[in-house]
Amino acid sequence: MLPTGIYFQTYASEARVLKTARSRVAVALLVTGLVAAPLLSGAYVLGVAAQGFITLIAVLGLHVTVGMAGQINIAQSAFVGVGAFAAAKLAGYGLPFWVVIPLAALITGSVSVLFALPAARVKGFYLALTTLAAQVLFPIVILGLPTEWLGGIVGMPVEPLVIAGLPIASPRAFYYFTLVLVVIMTCAAFNLHRSGFGRALKAVRDNDVAAQVMGIDVLRTKIAAFFVGSLFAGVAGACTAWFLQFVTIESFTLFASIWYLGMLIVGGAQSPIGAILGVLFITVFQEGLHEIGTEILRNSHEAGGMIFAATNVALGASILLVLIFEPRGLAHRWAVLTETIQLWPFPHR
Amino acid sequence: MIKLAQIIIDGGLVGLVYGLVAISFVVIYRAAKIVNIAQGEVLVIGALLFWTFTLGAAKAGWHVPFVAGVALTLLGCVVFGLILERFVFRPLIGQSSFAIFMASIALLVMLRGIAQLIWTAETRPFPQVLPSGALDIGPFLVSTRLLIGGIFTVALAIALHFFFTRSRRGLRLAAVAEDHNTALSLGVSVRSAIAVAWILGTVVATCGAVVLLSGRVVSLDVAGIGLKALPVALLGGLESVRGAPLAGVLVGIGEALAMAYLDPFTNGVASNVLPFAVMIGVLLIRPQGLFGWKRIERL
Repeated sequence: MLPTGIYFQTYASEARVLKTARSRVAVALLVTGLVAAPLLSGAYVLGVAAQGFITLIAVLGLHVTVGMAGQINIAQSAFVGVGAFAAAKLAGYGLPFWVVIPLAALITGSVSVLFALPAARVKGFYLALTTLAAQVLFPIVILGLPTEWLGGIVGMPVEPLVIAGLPIASPRAFYYFTLVLVVIMTCAAFNLHRSGFGRALKAVRDNDVAAQVMGIDVLRTKIAAFFVGSLFAGVAGACTAWFLQFVTIESFTLFASIWYLGMLIVGGAQSPIGAILGVLFITVFQEGLHEIGTEILRNSHEAGGMIFAATNVALGASILLVLIFEPRGLAHRWAVLTETIQLWPFPHR
Repeated sequence: MIKLAQIIIDGGLVGLVYGLVAISFVVIYRAAKIVNIAQGEVLVIGALLFWTFTLGAAKAGWHVPFVAGVALTLLGCVVFGLILERFVFRPLIGQSSFAIFMASIALLVMLRGIAQLIWTAETRPFPQVLPSGALDIGPFLVSTRLLIGGIFTVALAIALHFFFTRSRRGLRLAAVAEDHNTALSLGVSVRSAIAVAWILGTVVATCGAVVLLSGRVVSLDVAGIGLKALPVALLGGLESVRGAPLAGVLVGIGEALAMAYLDPFTNGVASNVLPFAVMIGVLLIRPQGLFGWKRIERL
């Protein structure tokens, strides 16, 4: 809800993502802050932030498939993996990054379409099961292929990224690289909501039978939802390949997929703000838990496994709590908070 | 020829184990309309409970008679089912199937984590419940453990089928599987249905663990069987208890044949891919499975 005195004279201004001058200033401040952050923080924090950006790109893709179109996807991590392996292979041929990223995204999108095809016959959780098949098949197929193709069980090393002769290897350089990508992908996700395609996705989510009656090609929209969501995954995968400088199937497990879904659900599936808040919340939470766990279990040799188990329990519990008590996620709380600030000091409710 | 028959017998018996785990999927769906992705984790928890009350107790110096151990395990399963009903699924009654599916995904990570926190990730021996060794039937060698398990699976499937289709309580569960809100409006308790579903599902999964693991080892990785049994449950039809063993036999034989004749040429991929290829095939050709309910939608 907007404060009194703010009104629109054209549809274009009504449809803007950032409607008020105040919100534009806030976003400008946020971006400036993110650009200036490396001046104040160390390499570890920048590494965590870059990884957070990559995760955010993947979760934004999941937001398109799950949040906007209502199609459950429990294979986002496998799709990120497809993007990573594709990027590693393409970069190995010496292609520049501006060819590798779009190609990796397209390859990932095409793979996801294969698993979205059953949408022709089934819906709801049945479709989720085909994505589960994608997640389970991913390591089996990679391991089964000849080792020269994708590295098999060993994995594939990736040359550090070089842009215009400058190596992007230091945490700071990589931070800026992922920051640019995440800004582009976030703008894309926000703008998708205002497009006809975005409205078609939401119609399919809310009631696919009614959407069909209104003239939306439901099958095509569902498949496109997977395709677009996986484009994001492909970009995230390419970044992961350069970030880790090594790709193996170990990095792309069912558990990682559940983490992505958990972030989306905790943040709120239906808006890109939810994806951002979810990634932020879970990343900070996970890092905190990791710190505490290492502190407590310093002397135990099983510390690593125990911390992993504890973070899993915490993630599962937070998904359940959000589902039960706040199905709209942190994004709804955020909306309530910003509205309160905007209407202060004269709330008219 | 004898080799082929032996492969088919082995595959069929292993398939019946998949069928047993698939039954534990089906009872939860058939009684509460919940597809529980976390069934493999439920099976591991059942197995670890059984270990705790038999070998674990003996190791700690408590001598629990075997019968008491079984009874305690069953009690543990009942308590586990009731906890899940009260704290996870009761608050979600009436929510979309999306939320319920997400809850089962959350359970997957949570149960895995809890199992690791309580029992740690170490590998332990599982008590020898069923006799080991093999029977000679004519020219064939049949594993006693799997044979007893298979007979148990078929008997259980028939018994549960009669429970779900003939008894009054079972028919009430069918109403819940049809639609939560309709069932509530007709005075059917969705709460008790969900509780029954989880208790049945946990107990059947624990039986599956006993057949699968008797005399072998149990670790957290056993949970993978859950993902293998899911295609079986889907092929049999998620609403059909009788379909699960049949689908299990089909998938088991297919897997054994693929393992014997295709794996040497495909680097071991064929047998692992087969269950999931079957799953996608089923979803494309006959989404309700062999014996499931066909749902009709209206605007």
